[in-house]
Amino acid sequence: MKILIADDDRMNRRLLEKTLEREGYEVIAVDNGRLALEQLSLPDGPRLALLDWMMPELDGPGVCRGVRTQHERPYIHIVLLTSRGSKQDIVAGLEAGADDYLTKPWDSAELTARLRTGQRILQLEDRLVEARETMRFKATHDHLTSLFNRGIIIDLLARELTRTRREQGCTVVMLGDLDHFKNVNDGYGHVVGDEVLREIARRLLASVRSYDFVGRYGGEEFLIVLNNCASTQAIARAEQVRNGIANHPVQTTRGPLPITISLGVFASRDWDLQQVEEILRAADLALYRAKADGRNCARLAKPNASCDALQHLVK
Amino acid sequence: MTQQPERDGPSQVAVNLPELLARVDNDRDLMCELFGIFKEEFPPLLRLLQESVARGDTKRVETTSHALTGMLSGLSATPAAKLAQRLEQMARAEEMLGLADALKLFEQAVANLLPELDRYTTKAEL
Repeated sequence: MKILIADDDRMNRRLLEKTLEREGYEVIAVDNGRLALEQLSLPDGPRLALLDWMMPELDGPGVCRGVRTQHERPYIHIVLLTSRGSKQDIVAGLEAGADDYLTKPWDSAELTARLRTGQRILQLEDRLVEARETMRFKATHDHLTSLFNRGIIIDLLARELTRTRREQGCTVVMLGDLDHFKNVNDGYGHVVGDEVLREIARRLLASVRSYDFVGRYGGEEFLIVLNNCASTQAIARAEQVRNGIANHPVQTTRGPLPITISLGVFASRDWDLQQVEEILRAADLALYRAKADGRNCARLAKPNASCDALQHLVK
Repeated sequence: MTQQPERDGPSQVAVNLPELLARVDNDRDLMCELFGIFKEEFPPLLRLLQESVARGDTKRVETTSHALTGMLSGLSATPAAKLAQRLEQMARAEEMLGLADALKLFEQAVANLLPELDRYTTKAEL
């Protein structure tokens, strides 16, 4: 594990360096507070730090305060090392953000024991962060396909539309529905149906850019949000998605299954719609048209065609 | 086994060698390396302290004696470290009276330090 030593006293620095190297630490040693803060601000910087109190440029408590303002960084366990041992000093050091302190001259056994305590605290913090991230993932992703769940993909769409309006760009929305998917579940069972959904999710993700969003909208329905995509490209992009599924059968435990998808495509530039619900309704109507036109195709939602499409559906 | 400090001089032993050896985990090479660093760093700091006391620059006396306290305590030169700490406290409190006397006591405590370190170094290298 990396550890930072910051002490302007060359002798103490060397002694600490040697002691900690013996304990298996990867030691980074600096001689002033500014360099210490720089090291502790690096993305892969040390997460354990031993700081002298009085140092040139920035003192130990100053480094502590600097570190504690960096909320995005993983937690850093800081031990202040000082010959100032009064209660006031200790309180000031801890208030500045130090986790522990040792007075000079230190006892090597106590020093290493306190650092091990620091490591245990960091490990606990890592486990808590990991648990939080797992929970966050579960709360935002579909458990079967690992795509964004319905709530999140709609939130992302709303956010993207706001950005697009502000920048006067274009967002393309695709609502996809697997054709005759009920036949897969009925004919091969839900286990195979799940295998198909997982593979389709993988192919959808593979067919869009890393900054586009793909979510599971419903049972066999998927919502794709293409950020900053020209409306003239909308159908071509939808065809890529469709071909990515139709061109190769899905391999399942019951053998290869030909799967196709119908897509309703909406390009925000062509419309004056503001509400996500209206946009989804327009994409849904286009999807109905794709289904009505024989499935395995993509249809673009057109403002003046929405009434016709509705009438067509009513018929 | 720890080595006992030599007692061939008239003055008090400046360095608690057993304590220092324990701190360096009985690594005599490291101990000699620390002595080497000390011998380079200490004289200019002592000069700076003497000049600062003569000028009555309490801020400089405080920072210099603080640095000396750290070095000396790291070397287990406890009596000298305590005297340096006393200077630091006096300077922080801006106690000008008595600063020169405190410096004299400190100078006496460190007078034999460098020769003593040389003796330890020679012994350690034998």
